Amino acid sequence: MERFGEHYLEERKLVKRWSGPIPALVSLLLTLTVFYATWWIFQDPRGIMRMYTPYSGYMYCRWWLIMMIWMVYLFDFWPFKRKWLETTHPLVKGAVLTLISVAILLILVKGFFEGFLGNYGLAYFNPEQLEKLDGITSFFAAEYSALAILMFAAIASWLSPAWVVAMENAPWHKMPQPARGFSILTITFFLSTIVYFVTMHPHMGILYHPWQYFTSIAPPYWEKFADTVSGNFHVSWIMCCTVVVWLVETIWERYPFNLIKNDWLRRFATFFGIILIALAMHFFLYFAQELTWGEAIRGTRRAFSPDWRWLHVGEMAIFFLVPALFLSFYCDNWPKKFSMPVNVATRTIVCLVAAVVLYIAYYKTSHLFLGTQKGFSHPQQFPMIPTIWLINIWLAHHWFMDNWPAWKMVPKTAHEIEADRNAAQAQIDDIRFTPKFVTGMGAGLAMGVLFYVVTVRALPALYEIIDIIPKN
Amino acid sequence: MSDTIKRRDFLKGAITGTGIGVLGAMGAYSYSGARKALFSKTERKMTDIGTCRSVKVTNISETSWFDNQTLVGDIKGAGGLLVDQYSYNWAPFGNGNGLGKGSYADGIAKIKQYLPHDLDKAWEIAQENSVNPDNAGGYSCLLEVEELDGNKRKFLLDSGWSYKWMDECFKREGIDKMLENREIEALFISHEHFDHYWGLPVTLKYDPTITIYIPEGFYPEGKQYIKDSGHTGKLIEVKNGLCKQIPGMASYVFPIPIICRVYGEQSLYFNIKDKGLVSVTGCCHQGIIRFAETAYNEIKYENDQCHGIYGGLHISPFDDWDPKYDDLVISLERYGFERIGCNHCTGVLCAKKFISQGYPVIEGTARFRSKDKAYLGNGDTITFG
Repeated sequence: MERFGEHYLEERKLVKRWSGPIPALVSLLLTLTVFYATWWIFQDPRGIMRMYTPYSGYMYCRWWLIMMIWMVYLFDFWPFKRKWLETTHPLVKGAVLTLISVAILLILVKGFFEGFLGNYGLAYFNPEQLEKLDGITSFFAAEYSALAILMFAAIASWLSPAWVVAMENAPWHKMPQPARGFSILTITFFLSTIVYFVTMHPHMGILYHPWQYFTSIAPPYWEKFADTVSGNFHVSWIMCCTVVVWLVETIWERYPFNLIKNDWLRRFATFFGIILIALAMHFFLYFAQELTWGEAIRGTRRAFSPDWRWLHVGEMAIFFLVPALFLSFYCDNWPKKFSMPVNVATRTIVCLVAAVVLYIAYYKTSHLFLGTQKGFSHPQQFPMIPTIWLINIWLAHHWFMDNWPAWKMVPKTAHEIEADRNAAQAQIDDIRFTPKFVTGMGAGLAMGVLFYVVTVRALPALYEIIDIIPKN
Repeated sequence: MSDTIKRRDFLKGAITGTGIGVLGAMGAYSYSGARKALFSKTERKMTDIGTCRSVKVTNISETSWFDNQTLVGDIKGAGGLLVDQYSYNWAPFGNGNGLGKGSYADGIAKIKQYLPHDLDKAWEIAQENSVNPDNAGGYSCLLEVEELDGNKRKFLLDSGWSYKWMDECFKREGIDKMLENREIEALFISHEHFDHYWGLPVTLKYDPTITIYIPEGFYPEGKQYIKDSGHTGKLIEVKNGLCKQIPGMASYVFPIPIICRVYGEQSLYFNIKDKGLVSVTGCCHQGIIRFAETAYNEIKYENDQCHGIYGGLHISPFDDWDPKYDDLVISLERYGFERIGCNHCTGVLCAKKFISQGYPVIEGTARFRSKDKAYLGNGDTITFG
């Protein structure tokens, strides 16, 4: 039976063409060059297509991400055969697969959302339908529509990979492609629809005057808890879920959930564990803003408004994802020589430091070369777009092009595949719930809480030291 | 089991526990009510800016543009809200190359020789080379501050956009004569946006010596425009924060990013004897609530009362909407404004929502191309005090 790309990513051996950090640096330089060129062509407000309006460009950016996740994670590169994946030149492979991802993206956005849903279901998915309303300009009609479509993508970019990473494709994991891909696509699209209706639909329902009481809950049910009627409250935790899925998959190697032996218990623990970790991030990053900038004031604009603070939580989370993916894709998930908890902790610390550096560098300089707005909080300052655009390029480079040219793809032998699996299992087996482990965990819990307290106490002073942009 | 293995097990457990402990604390405490104990208490500075008896605002023009669809269509066509305003190819900086392909240097080169003495000619050239020049209007108002001793002092806030439209408005309200007679002490520019600032030569036509206050954050093109417009008076770049002007009047510069590549906005505070604080804004990009909160934290004012507000409140300038604006409509009640004189970028839709909410919005007369009586229109006045 044809395996298409099933386990292709695990079963390929990427061989460095040069020793040391040179391949990673070459890849970084190459992908940043592609990033900047494509940013200028598609997104930059000073460039050619100027899609960074911001929602229009963001919509395509998010859906392109989903397309690649669908093609690689849900469908295992189906209908492309394994031999084609292994023998085709990475440049050809990259071009073909990228073009296909863009074609599906356009069909989905223009055909399914704007054409089908927008004309036969919910008017706000189609700009032309919105323009029929009195007083709505074509620009904002397009922006509202793009916002709705991209929010669907944001939810799907959490749930689609979560089903693969957390639920391990179950209960369809033994099914061949494309049946498995379509099954997971159906369930994740269905779940995304439900999440969309209870998170973003009420946001869309109050975009119009008077509030659309008859079709959406108004004011939205989260108003008192989140201190805003804006759906950005949900954008925040959903973005955190998206980030945590990839952290679990890459730098955390699914630890500690992979210690659970029972399949279904492990799957559900991972799925809901991702949500719980994301919620912890969601609340902490909001609190961090309160500690550094001061308490949010409902009704105000920009950096002090709760709705923007929630949005910024998602933005901060994305800064964490960028170094995590770089470490995983181009640094062979360094380090690997210690036990799994030590490896995971080291990578997490490295990524945290890198995320802070990237955050500072972004806000200090992005307006100088990306055409974005200076400052943190302008509605048109959307760091999620350039960061996800870069991530998209890395995904295309890593998944579709085998990290060419700094690496060469060689299929692993059956022996190597077996050895890798044994090594991974040995890492898991190395963690034993001995009395010392349990004692260590108890001490660790206390240290963790202490670390949190110290961080929270130190944050205001730390922020004062780092003068990113003039504060007021 | 050897000691080494035991130590390694302890370490693995400790690292795992630390992660769980951190995440658990993050989730349990970070959004709990207990977290508020860690918020720093802001000490009110209570800066004394003095008091004045009253301030009268004459709305010279609040119609910055006449058709939303046209303006937003231009913005969309040029690449969106982040595109540099000088590259839209709007008047007066049109270079004839079409939407999104303009530049300050090209545009000013065509009209500089006529500034500020022959604005008819300058605008005629601009019309030939610009995109939708007839959609340009402008924002500007006259402030008449009565001091406690009865002395009255006049200031302009902003100078609009279209030379043609603003000249008509200045003449309609007698601003031209006031400027010629040097009755107006200074021009405060709220921010660098086209509709507040590009009409600068109209003010300078009648008084090139007038003192100009601009907020910190102007781009080089904006500063050059002052020179190119023929200004011969004093130019003061106001630093971020509070700046006392005359007894009972202060300006405040907010360092905020604004669409169309603009940075920083300057607004005005007045402390009216026995009434309270009056806030006057150009566009209030900082947000009306932050404006009020800043006053609360920085300034001492009569009765600790927010008495009134005038100007564009920048809520839905294009009659667009966002749930965060509902947050504002719902929250404004807390601040207890007694008189709200809004217009311009507040948006008609928002003014109507304010009225539905029961706020004391002062209605206008909808004359001289203002759209709706829901807010103060062109030629309308409001007096605080």
